[in-house]
Parts: sequence; structure tokens; C-alpha cells
Amino acid sequence: MYAQVVLFDGFDPLDVIAPYEVLSAGSDAAGGALELSLVTAEGARTVISGTPGLSLEATAKLDPALPGLIVIPGASGPVAADPDVVDTIPVLLARVGGTDLPALVRQAFDNPDLIVATVCGGSLALAMAGVLEGRTAVTHRLGLEVLEATGVTVVDARVVDDGNLVTAGGVTSGLDLGFYLLDRLFGPKVALSVEHLFQYERRGIVWRNAGLEPVEV
Amino acid sequence: MIDGIWDVLLVTPIGRLQVVFEFTRIDGVLTGVARGKGENSPLHDIVETDGRVTWRQQITKPMRLNLEFDVTVLGAGLEGTSKAGRLPSSRVTGIRR
Repeated sequence: MYAQVVLFDGFDPLDVIAPYEVLSAGSDAAGGALELSLVTAEGARTVISGTPGLSLEATAKLDPALPGLIVIPGASGPVAADPDVVDTIPVLLARVGGTDLPALVRQAFDNPDLIVATVCGGSLALAMAGVLEGRTAVTHRLGLEVLEATGVTVVDARVVDDGNLVTAGGVTSGLDLGFYLLDRLFGPKVALSVEHLFQYERRGIVWRNAGLEPVEV
Repeated sequence: MIDGIWDVLLVTPIGRLQVVFEFTRIDGVLTGVARGKGENSPLHDIVETDGRVTWRQQITKPMRLNLEFDVTVLGAGLEGTSKAGRLPSSRVTGIRR
């Protein structure tokens, strides 16, 4: 299996590194079950993050035919500034819509052996491009209302599992996403061993469309 | 009456948008279309009452949004708000072409 972690201009480094390291350690614990790589919609290149002084090197173009995982981060940058003047996070996320990434993600959704996972504004970038129409998802808490306005059903959980789309909330929830994906792919023993290694305990209940609807009391 | 062509300025989370709205009345039924950069989107549920006009529309460019408009026609100008879901409403201003 493959885990392709996507970079785009202005990405948030922690959204990338947190799940990457969790998945990498999980792969080791599962006997090398995952081949991890940093990719872009364009191909191998240096990608400048939205956090000053941090760039990462993508080695290939995202391939939606490969089985496994695709992880899409959010952006980092200013939030409150005038979007006509400054590249705010919503502007950086909307710019993803002008790349080949939305088309590649549509192909990924058609691949039954792939899970598309997002951290922070990654879901919002896809939703702004119209790729998450009718899906259930979460994003950073600052973006929940925009996400809803794009036609997505929003669930305010730390991680939301909508089948072949697994989305996570703000930045640090990328850790919880990584652990949940390990649990889902390789089971709780592998996930727990990585929790011990990272000295971290997963936070929050993962929402799935299952079980009873809570009754108002 | 809102019938005609309007140059309208919208404020969205990703910046200002210049959009042309075109309202047409056929046999008393008001229809409308918004022409933006690279996309035409139809207006739904248009209701006109005493110069106040409301409608809904979906845009996909520059981003996918469900928008609800509420504007008042004042001679050659229009003024009002557009709202995307639970986001705070943003000001809409337009000039008749």
C-alpha cells in the first residue's frame, strides 16, 4: 500500500508532518506495509509552505491509481487580513482549486482501494473546488461555516469518517487522524504501539454514520 | 422593478467578485442569471415584493458556495446582502447598466 501526502503552495507543515510521522512509524510497526511519499498535483518540486522558512521536497506526481491513502493538508498564513490584498488561508485554499488536485481527487474517489484523508483546511480546499458536494466532513473550527456553505454536511468532531473520505479538524488533529488511519488499516495493536512510541494518546471520538441517533434530553 | 442588467460587487471569503446579474420577465414570471468569471449560474426562488428582491443561487467559481441574496432596488442602484450559510452576511451593491 501507498501513503501519498500532498503538498501545495502555502501548505501547513504540521498538517503534513504529524500524519506523515505517525503513518511512517505505523508502517514500520506493520512490517513496512506502507510506502510513504510527498507528492504534488504537478510532479516533483520544492514546495514552499505557508510558514516562513519551511519548505518540503515532493518527489512525484500524485497517482490516484495507487492503492492506500492520500493525505491532503491545509494551509498556514494570515486569517483576518483583506483577501484582496493578502494571501489569507481561504485564498491559499481556493487557489488549490485552480490546480489539477481536484480532478486527481475525483479520480481517487473512484478508486475502491483508496482512502482520501484531510487535515485542517485540506477538506475546505477540496470543498471550495466542489469535490465534496453532499459528503460529511470537518475542517478547522474557523472554517466550519464556510465548509457548510459549500454544500458539505458538517460534523464538529475531531475526526470524521465518511467511508473513503476521512477528514480531521484543526492542525493538531492530524495526529489523531494518523492514529485512526493506522487503527483502520492495521488494527489497534499497531496503532497502540505507535502511541507508546510517540508518548501521545489519541483525542476525541471518531464520527461515523453508524449507531443510534442521540435523543435530546 | 429589478428587470434588466446589473453590475454587482460581491464580497466573499476569498475576495471581491464582480458579477453581472440579468433579470428577465416573461409572461409576468421573473427569471435571472448571474454571469461571473467563467461561469453562468441560474437564480432560484426569486421573490420580488415592493422593490425588495430575494433569491438563492449556487456558484462554483471561484469557489463552491450556496448564496442567499436580499436586495432592495433604489432607482438605478441596488443594495443589500448576500449570505453563505451561517457565515456573516456581506454587503452587495449594484448599478443598473
